[in-house]
Amino acid sequence: MLSTNGADFSVVVKRYDVEGQVIATPEEMAKKMLPKDEVFKKVAEEVLYMRFKTVGPVVMDALKHRNPLDVINNGLVAGMEVVAKLYAEHVYYLPEIMMAAKTMEIGIAIAEKQVPGGRETKGTVVMHAAEGDPHDIGKNIAAVMVRSSGYTVIDMGRDVPVAEFVDKVVEVKPLFASGTALMTTTMSAFPAEAKMLVHKGMKTPLMGCGGAVNRDYANSYDLGIYSEKAPQTPIIAEKIRKGYDWKKVREEWDSIIGGQ
Amino acid sequence: MSVKRFTKMEYACADDMTFGRAIKPVSYGFGLKIGAGKVIPEINYAPRPGTEKDPAKLRKEYVDYITKDILDRAITVGFPDVQLETEWVSQMNQEKLSAPVVSGQKAMCEKYHEEYGLNCGVRQTIPDQREADHGLRPGHDKNHAYPEKLFECAEIACENGADNLSCETVGGKEFADYAVTNGDIVAFLFGVGYLGTVDMTYVWSEFANIAKKHKCVAGGDTNCSGANVAMFMAGGMQDNDVQRTFSAVTRSISAARTLAAWESGAIGPDKDCGYEGPIVKAIAGMPTAQEGKNCQCAHCDLQGNLIAQCCDLWSNESVEYHPEFGGTSVQCWFGSIGYEAALMNTALQMKQEKTLRDLYMFADRTRGPEAYVLAYDHAYEIGKAIAAEGNHLYNRALGAGLTGAKIILKGYETKELALTNKQLDTLKDIIKKFEALPKEESKFVEYAVKEFSGLVPNFNMKNYDL
Repeated sequence: MLSTNGADFSVVVKRYDVEGQVIATPEEMAKKMLPKDEVFKKVAEEVLYMRFKTVGPVVMDALKHRNPLDVINNGLVAGMEVVAKLYAEHVYYLPEIMMAAKTMEIGIAIAEKQVPGGRETKGTVVMHAAEGDPHDIGKNIAAVMVRSSGYTVIDMGRDVPVAEFVDKVVEVKPLFASGTALMTTTMSAFPAEAKMLVHKGMKTPLMGCGGAVNRDYANSYDLGIYSEKAPQTPIIAEKIRKGYDWKKVREEWDSIIGGQ
Repeated sequence: MSVKRFTKMEYACADDMTFGRAIKPVSYGFGLKIGAGKVIPEINYAPRPGTEKDPAKLRKEYVDYITKDILDRAITVGFPDVQLETEWVSQMNQEKLSAPVVSGQKAMCEKYHEEYGLNCGVRQTIPDQREADHGLRPGHDKNHAYPEKLFECAEIACENGADNLSCETVGGKEFADYAVTNGDIVAFLFGVGYLGTVDMTYVWSEFANIAKKHKCVAGGDTNCSGANVAMFMAGGMQDNDVQRTFSAVTRSISAARTLAAWESGAIGPDKDCGYEGPIVKAIAGMPTAQEGKNCQCAHCDLQGNLIAQCCDLWSNESVEYHPEFGGTSVQCWFGSIGYEAALMNTALQMKQEKTLRDLYMFADRTRGPEAYVLAYDHAYEIGKAIAAEGNHLYNRALGAGLTGAKIILKGYETKELALTNKQLDTLKDIIKKFEALPKEESKFVEYAVKEFSGLVPNFNMKNYDL
C-alpha cells in the first residue's frame, strides 16, 4: 500500500456531516415544545421517546383525567409533532420517526375506542406502489408521515394493478391519491391511472412519487402532482385540504414546499 | 449443481488484489475475457417509458437504438471491449417481449465482432419479482406466479443467447425493508445474512443448471434490495436518514449472502451495483463488476473512486435512453466508463496498477464509513471473517457484520475516520447487539423467529423451505 506520509486528506474530502451535526439532545430540543399540561406532557413524552411498550398504560391513565379526543390531539399528536420537528432539525432520523409513529398509533387505537361515533380524521388518502413495482419503502415512509399528520391512509400495498387502484379511488373518493415507482417503466402506470380517473369524471389529485419520477413527469398528465420527499407529502396534503385542486398545487408547488 | 462453500481465502493477502485481474478469469460472448488482465467497461441502460408496451417497439429500442449506438461508439472512440447489460423491465417476464431483445442483441454483437473485431457480449439481468406476501417458491404465488416466472425468464434469456445470466434476487427483502426503516440490524442479519443466503443458494443452484444447459455463463447477484437500499437511504452527507455506520454494516453482512451465487455454481462476474464486490472477490477470486464515479446518472456515490480499486468490469449502473449534447445517453456514459477503464488498463500495461489502485482507494477512504469498510485492506478482513465460518450461514454473516463494525470503530478510535455522534452511537449499539446474540445458529434462528413473527410484515419461514 502506498505511504500516506505528508498527505493532507482534508483537502480531498470535507466531512460536512461531522462538521454540521446538531449536538443538542432530543431532551434539550423538546423541552420548549412539549405540552404544558402535565397529563398531556406525559402522553406526548411516550411518543417522543418511542416507549411503545408503556404508551398503553400511560394513555389509559390519561383517559381518566382528560377526554379521549384531547388525549389524542393534545397528547399523542402533539408528541408526534415534536418528533417531526426533531426530524426536520436532524436530531431524529428515519428509525425514530417510524418508532414514534408506531407508538402514537398504539395510543390512538386505545383512545379512539372511547370517542363516541369514532374519531374524525383530516381526510382519507389512498396510497400504492405502481403495477409491476415491488419496491414500496418510500410509500411506507410517506404513509407513516401522512398518517401521523392526522389523515386516514388506505394503503393498497405494492405492485397494484392500474384498474384495481382506479376502482378503489372511485369507491373511496379520497382527498388525494398517491403512487410510488422506482422504475421508469412502472411509473407509466400513473398517467394510465389518471386517464382512467378523468374518464370516470374524477378530479382527485394523483401524486406521482418515487426514485424514477421527477416533477416534470408527474406534471405531464392531468391530475398529476409531485412530492419529492416523504416529509413534503403532509404539507401538500394540508393545501389540498384547504381547497387547492391539482392545478393550483402545481402552480404553487415551489412556494408550498419552499425550504424543504 | 452442488453447493461448495468457501472456507478459505483465494487471495493470499489484500495487496494481491488489483483491478482487471482475478484469480479465476471468465470468458464468454464474442471474445470477452473478464478478470484476465483488462478492465472491461459495462454499459447499462433503461428504455424510454412507453416502449415496454409493444414487443416491436421494445426490440427496436434495445437493439436498433441502444445496442447499435453503443457498439458504434466503441468503434468511434477505439474501445476494444464492451459488455452490455440489459436489466429486464418487469414486462419482459413475457417471452414475446424478452426473446426478440435477447436474440437481437446477440446478433448485433456478432456482427460488430466479425466486422471490427470488437470484443463484446450482453449480460442479461432478469427480474426477480417475487413478493414475500405471495410466496417465494414455485407453487406459492397464486396471483402472479412470480417464482415460476423467475425461472422461465432464466430459460428465455439463456436459450435466446444471453452471454451472462444475472439477477438481483429479493430473498430477505421483507426483512431488509423493515430493518432499514426501523434501524434494526438484527433483523437485517437474520433476513439478509441468513434467510437471504438460504434463498440465493436455492435460486442460484437452479440458475447455474439452466445456464449450463444452454452454454451460458451464470454471472452472479448482489444485495440490491437490502444493502443498496440502506446506502440509498443513508444518502449523502446532509441526509443520513439511515445512519451510514448502519449502512456500512449492512454491506458487510450482504457479502456473506452475495457469495452464495458463486457457491451454487455461478462463476462471475457478479452484478455492478454490488458494492460488496471487493469482499467477495477477496474470498472467491472470481471477477466482479463495480460502479462508482461514472454512475452519477443513476445515483450519488461516496466511494466513487475507491470502489474502482479492484473491479474487473466498470459500470455506469443504468441510464435512461435519451439524447444528450454528446450523442445519446448510452454513448455519453459509455464514453465515461470506457475512458476510465482505459486509464486502469494503461496502469496495468505499465505495471502501475497497484499505485493507481491505492490512489483510487485513498481518494475516498475517509469519505464515510461505507467507503472505509470497502477499502480493499478492510474488505479482505471482512472476507476472512466470512471464510472462517464459511459453512455456517448465520455465523459467517454475523462475523462479517461484527468485523465490519469493529473496523469502523477502530478507524474512529485511531482518528483515521471521523463519525458524527449519532453514527458512533448507532455503531456501538450494533456491536452491543451483535455481541449479545446466541453463538449457535439453531438458537439464533429460534430467537429470531420468536422476535420477528408478527413484527416484520410478510415474514413466513415457508418462503425459505424452513
